Amino acid sequence: MEEFSSVYRECYPRVLAYAASHAGAKVAEDITSETFTIAWRKSAQMPSNALPWLLGIARNLVRQSRRQTTHYELTDFPAEDEFAVIELRAALSSLSEADQEVLTLIAWHGLAAAEAAQVLGCTTATFFVRLHRARRRLQAALWTPKFDQARQSWKTS
Amino acid sequence: MEDLLKDLAQAKPPTPEVDRDRMESDLARITALPRERPARGQFVRRFAPLLAAAAVIALVVVLLPRSVEPVRPAAPPRWWHVLTEERSLMLVGDPAAPYLVEFLSKTDRWLSRDTEVAVLQKDGTVAPYSRESEETWEAAGRPDTAPQVGGSHSVRIGPMKPALRKASVSGYQMSLHSDVRLDSVSSLPTDQAELRRTLESLVGEDPYRVATLAMDLMSANVSDDQRRAVFELLKTVEGVRYLGEVPVTEDRTGVAVAIKAPPTFQFSDVETRLLVNPETGLPIRRIDLLTTSYRDLPAGLPISVEDYLLLDSTTIDPIVPQDIPVNGEVESPIIER
Repeated sequence: MEEFSSVYRECYPRVLAYAASHAGAKVAEDITSETFTIAWRKSAQMPSNALPWLLGIARNLVRQSRRQTTHYELTDFPAEDEFAVIELRAALSSLSEADQEVLTLIAWHGLAAAEAAQVLGCTTATFFVRLHRARRRLQAALWTPKFDQARQSWKTS
Repeated sequence: MEDLLKDLAQAKPPTPEVDRDRMESDLARITALPRERPARGQFVRRFAPLLAAAAVIALVVVLLPRSVEPVRPAAPPRWWHVLTEERSLMLVGDPAAPYLVEFLSKTDRWLSRDTEVAVLQKDGTVAPYSRESEETWEAAGRPDTAPQVGGSHSVRIGPMKPALRKASVSGYQMSLHSDVRLDSVSSLPTDQAELRRTLESLVGEDPYRVATLAMDLMSANVSDDQRRAVFELLKTVEGVRYLGEVPVTEDRTGVAVAIKAPPTFQFSDVETRLLVNPETGLPIRRIDLLTTSYRDLPAGLPISVEDYLLLDSTTIDPIVPQDIPVNGEVESPIIER
């Protein structure tokens, strides 16, 4: 019980951040609450490094939530963000959901490759290959004509 | 590439503030709920949909006292289904500044008394192994092919093309990498001396070949008693060390044996290990690792890993991809230079 409470308080902010970035702030708390409810029921299976396991549960709940809604809630970003950051987010959102997930587990949620692999239920080697491809596709997306035009208009405005 | 991930980190959306009151009230509500009884095995949980049938069989084996004969179904299952994931490393490029590529693929194999069906190079890819390897590969101009270091062939970097093989066979072939074939695994003796003689009659008296054949047999469609006898024999083969319980993943262990392997064309100090699930007796992983450092590669680095994702008797016919020609050419990523 004490061990679970300790993990709960330590991991709650990161599970909430994961849920908010994938399903929006409005449902993030509900998904986080449901994640820990499932984790409590299955706490005998909880590994010592619980975060990847918890994010794996949250990931399934995010998917369920998306299947049940007809539209996704857009994440609110600060209006004062630099153009380069906005551009990068746009390039990211042009990728497949799988590519976005691989990249954001590392870049946004700070997981090591082995932990991210655990969230996705694949081996570290498989994850590395997926990351490699996703990074390549993100790089390519940043240099498509659409982004080049946007970059040019930004420079000349 | 590395900078790209750093830039992406800058594009992270704002982290929502934690509502402490809700967090604590949720915790109180959650911990008032009943909990499930402990379940068996992380592996089974992870691959639950795939392993449902295997889990039932494994559970029966686990719950039976060891002295009791395994329960046998009224009609023998038609197929022995083995799904493995293979990962291996190879040094390629300029011999003065080589880099590592990783081969990654799955093999889905069904064996019956007279038929073998196999999907090879499933989900296969060859890619630079580490960030350093990736940088060397990029500096070399991201070549599609790279020459093996110390070998006469080249390696094709990128996705592998899956292949489908169907063949009528007699007897039981141990593995795709072995020509050894038994007339029937059911006739395999459980007596240690007889078993040793049987294996030596197939591969000679070379301890490494006997040990690796025994490792192959551990994943074959043998009875629980036969598998136990094979593992006990394995422990007694000259040069084999019993390592006891070793970690497989962060939260999972297996019992392992190890034997020094003959040198490959790239690596000389290599050890082959087999890790077995102590509850079911089924193999979990077979691994070749460096026992001494070589160039920049550390001792202990796995250069070849075979994970047994599924070992299962089934009456369900093989499920194979429909868009791959049967017995078409297998386009190996190892090509003529």
